[in-house]
Amino acid sequence: MDELKKIDVLFIGAGPASLAGAIKLKQLLNQRGINRSVVVIEKAEKIGQHHLSGAVFDAGVLDELLPGWQNNGEDKFIAKLLASRIIKDELYFLKGRSMAFRIPDFVIPANMHNKNAYAVSISELVNWLAEIAVKLGVEIYTGFAAKEIVVEDNRVRGVKLGDKGLDKERRPLSNYVPGEVIKAEVTVLGEGSAGLLAEGVVKQFKLDAKRNPQIYSMGVKEIIKLPEKNAFGANRVAHFLGFPFPSDVYGAGSIYSMRDNLVAVALVMALDWRYADLNPQRELQIFKSHSMIKNFLEGGEVVAYGAKTFPEGGYYSVPRLVADGVMIVGDAAGLTNAKKRKGLHYAIKSGIAAGEAVFQAIEKQDFSAQSLKKYHDILNESFVMKELYASRNYRQIFSRTGRLGYYLGAPLSFFQSWIPDRLSTKPDHECMQRIQLKRQSASGVDSVDRLTAVSLSGTTHREDEPSHVALCEASQSEICNKYFGCHPCTSFCPAEVYKFEDGKPILSPSNCLHCQTCRLKCPQQLIKWEVPEGGDGPRYKIM
Amino acid sequence: MNYIVLVKQVPDIKNIPEEAWDWEKGILKRGLLDNVCNDMDKQAIAFAVSMRQALQGQIVSLSMGPPFADAVLKYALSVGADTGVLLTDRKLGGADTAATAFPLAAAIRKIEKDIFKGDRNYIIISGMQSVDGDTAQVPPQVAEDLGVAHIAYATSFNIDKNNCLYIKRIIRGGTQIVSPVTYPCMITITNWTLHPNATFERTRWANSQRLLHWSAADVTKDESRIGLSGSRTTVFKVFSPKDVSSRKCIFESDLAKLAGLLKEAYLSKSKSTGQETAKVAYQLPAGKNPTYPGEVWVFAEQEDSVISQASYELLGKACELAAQVNAKVGAVLVGQNSLKQSRSLISYGADKVYIITGDRLNDFQPVPYSRVVCELLDKYKPQILLFSATPLGKELAPRVAYRAGSGLTADCTALDIFDYKKGSQDYTAILKQTRPALGGNIMASIITQNSRVQMSTVRPGVMQAIKPDESRTGEIIKYEPALTEADFALKIISSEEIPAASELKDAAIVVAGGGGCRTREGFLNCIPALADALGKLLGEEAMVGATRVAVERGFIDRSHQVGQTGQTVKPKLYVAVGISGAVQHVSGMQNSGIILAINKDPNASIFRTADFGIVGDFENLVPRLIKVLNS
Repeated sequence: MDELKKIDVLFIGAGPASLAGAIKLKQLLNQRGINRSVVVIEKAEKIGQHHLSGAVFDAGVLDELLPGWQNNGEDKFIAKLLASRIIKDELYFLKGRSMAFRIPDFVIPANMHNKNAYAVSISELVNWLAEIAVKLGVEIYTGFAAKEIVVEDNRVRGVKLGDKGLDKERRPLSNYVPGEVIKAEVTVLGEGSAGLLAEGVVKQFKLDAKRNPQIYSMGVKEIIKLPEKNAFGANRVAHFLGFPFPSDVYGAGSIYSMRDNLVAVALVMALDWRYADLNPQRELQIFKSHSMIKNFLEGGEVVAYGAKTFPEGGYYSVPRLVADGVMIVGDAAGLTNAKKRKGLHYAIKSGIAAGEAVFQAIEKQDFSAQSLKKYHDILNESFVMKELYASRNYRQIFSRTGRLGYYLGAPLSFFQSWIPDRLSTKPDHECMQRIQLKRQSASGVDSVDRLTAVSLSGTTHREDEPSHVALCEASQSEICNKYFGCHPCTSFCPAEVYKFEDGKPILSPSNCLHCQTCRLKCPQQLIKWEVPEGGDGPRYKIM
Repeated sequence: MNYIVLVKQVPDIKNIPEEAWDWEKGILKRGLLDNVCNDMDKQAIAFAVSMRQALQGQIVSLSMGPPFADAVLKYALSVGADTGVLLTDRKLGGADTAATAFPLAAAIRKIEKDIFKGDRNYIIISGMQSVDGDTAQVPPQVAEDLGVAHIAYATSFNIDKNNCLYIKRIIRGGTQIVSPVTYPCMITITNWTLHPNATFERTRWANSQRLLHWSAADVTKDESRIGLSGSRTTVFKVFSPKDVSSRKCIFESDLAKLAGLLKEAYLSKSKSTGQETAKVAYQLPAGKNPTYPGEVWVFAEQEDSVISQASYELLGKACELAAQVNAKVGAVLVGQNSLKQSRSLISYGADKVYIITGDRLNDFQPVPYSRVVCELLDKYKPQILLFSATPLGKELAPRVAYRAGSGLTADCTALDIFDYKKGSQDYTAILKQTRPALGGNIMASIITQNSRVQMSTVRPGVMQAIKPDESRTGEIIKYEPALTEADFALKIISSEEIPAASELKDAAIVVAGGGGCRTREGFLNCIPALADALGKLLGEEAMVGATRVAVERGFIDRSHQVGQTGQTVKPKLYVAVGISGAVQHVSGMQNSGIILAINKDPNASIFRTADFGIVGDFENLVPRLIKVLNS
């Protein structure tokens, strides 16, 4: 039976990067009649449940992976995708609660235009990719969380899964299953944003030498069901700068049409915000109270909610992505474009590149970093690194403009490619200052309170399992209260996991959405976040 | 010993998205729901795996469903089963319990022949019921088709040094230990352990296994017993049980006045019990005859020579129905010394009492009881037979119905006589059976078809018994069936009475505390005392509830948790103390009769769900309220 735990190629996380990689690899193997085990493991109970994105998708990348994909009109997903081509694409600046200015197209750099891309739900995209992968012979197993990388002789040998069936005090219950070690020739880490295994590998193998630390944005998103004849319409995306953010918060709101009168409404903000009481979920409700947004969302009902982080460091934050026996793909590798706010097509391309590199390694039977370096070669030649290089200091400019925020940042950003060197950045958690937004509670018929939002994410955790979040040295959290005048974590967690009563922290880990904003943003870095028991977490369907 | 485990793929009723409901069409869009393995069937697999450790053998997992139901068989394999069989065929679709039991039994015979090579030393294990249908009918009906005994509501087993098997099961008022005399036999499982977790290794192994796919033709030639045509009941309407009345909170800071308002509201709510509402009496249309002729019968249960209250309720309903179709009311009683009970049944409305006597019929066993009741049915041909949805009734009724070739609707909360016309179907004066399904998320209206008798099990506590009239007279008919040793395939070893542990979900009054109680002492000092005071004042049992936050902070243990991840309760009075009113908690108590909220935050969302509210700190208010209530 031990043979079952020895695998040729192991992908962690069933996201677009891993699935594209597994598909590409199996395509190449099948072509040559070579039989190797390609396994993808996913911590969610079902595929897509932990995936959240905008998303405006440059579907052209699928031409390389699945040539002729558009012609399969019978496939439900493709039909849905093709029907969501973006025809109207607008950018607005919102001032105060009622004013809105359209920013004309000619001012917006061409590579930020969204027309002819498609609005897609990433949860549905990955389900579709998973079906294709399984048909090619990829094995996909859900409900298994990878907890640690296994390293032997300075080489990655596989992963160790998390335990199942422990009680709150970490004692085994009657259905206890200890985490198994799965060995693989190559482990490809596609954990997504803020992936813990990827971070560990980067640190252990010193892959981030001479690079900026990774910085992030986090987004809160609602899916809203609008009435039949609604003001927003179909095939339309709109982005909104300005309200509700002060000028020094790098962020934007968006509304994307999906199908069946559903719209995706999101607010994304960079984690380097200064305000100690900024509550992303509440900001989203305030955003919805702007008269233009209110008009668009008239008569709508929130049917789903979610939150996720998204890496934004760009070119200078991408570490080396290979070491002996391991590779990193997708968001976990930081392959996202902060300027275009896109990452899906990079993730897929990185998966394709990884698949090709692993195939070569299999042919040579050499899984060392030297051999896997082919992955970098392919990426460097591709649009991924070319585009990342072209926008390399864009995001960093905004973190330099202090209180002037985008008033200075926006015009300066046009010159970002003139800057010869890399602009360094501070880690997000160092940015919080003694200043508060002091919002009035967002009330109004249309606003959703945070706990109700959590219930709309479908997030479920076995309540007697060990808590996967921990506040180390909880007594230190008083320092936050004294310095900032509040406990920032009670505001920045989009799921209300953190609360304080009489200075003592009260955690509700079963609310967690797995976004990891907490461990990235805690000013004293007191929060430890671990992957919970496999199968637990949000249940996104059309995020 | 070999094992056949029945598993079913069901929609995930714990996560029904709003857009899955189409109330206009009266359907649930199943395609929008995730599919999971029925929880009780996971318990069944775990039971089989546990048994197999002592009595070695093969575990075959069997399911009937569409091709993607393979997933539950793969799950069964990943936690210990050896082989998976999927009975899958379009012709099997649209089946009710009878038309499901028939092909499953046929598949079991095929497994016995092809896989066990004729060895009849096997046990069929199934979950007690599935969460979508909620009927608990299929396992006993499969057992009836195979002609084997069944042991229902098993919670544990024991094997002695002679390899003799003892099963502990739940009966009304306690537990019983039973041993099968012959094999094969069927065991249905209720919650007994934690769901097994699959290892990665075994999951990968399960994934590589080929499942057997059998079509209807592979197991049976008789198409009249499967699918829609084999079904003996039809759901003709589905509707929402939600009481859409939005509550308007009345704030009252004067505690004495509040107590008065509460008592008043409580007493008026108590008058309207159950889900029965006064209806216009049915009138037989002129010139038409009822589709089903005959008497209206009830199956009466007795415990220590006392007729159960549920049986009197059944009689009350039977009288009402019989009056509308001009029929007589009959009561069926099994056991010795039943003269006193017969008098009692007559005074509660029976016109005739049929007593089935026999030496060994004092203790309930499914096989002989279903046999004798059926013989009586064949002889006297009633039109309706009602059972109480008690543990015994839920085991017996399915077997009787299946044996009599009649449809059975489980757990009805309403019964009426009406005419039904749709397409080619034209029925007069038939029974409209209404029951909750999908874990209480929907109500379904059902009629019987292709049957000799219309049968239902009725939820206890919903119907009303009539006032007993000692002067009533009636006929007593004795029936003594011929039974052999072979009919008694189970040996009852012992029974143990367990004093009924009060269930939170049955309490008439629940007083719950939340995070706002701040400390364990605060919670324990105030909440139970308030519950007692209210219970004394209103003369009902009051229990203590808690929110998840209170449980996790150690105020009280999890058995008191109310909410999305705790229990759902519907007491006549619910008092929320120091509870914010987050949707996760409210979803577990929003259908309570009267809701009183005590919270120091005037903007707490709990007040939007309450009928009465007081704003203030609980440590101050609750002791004062208790004083007022006690005076």
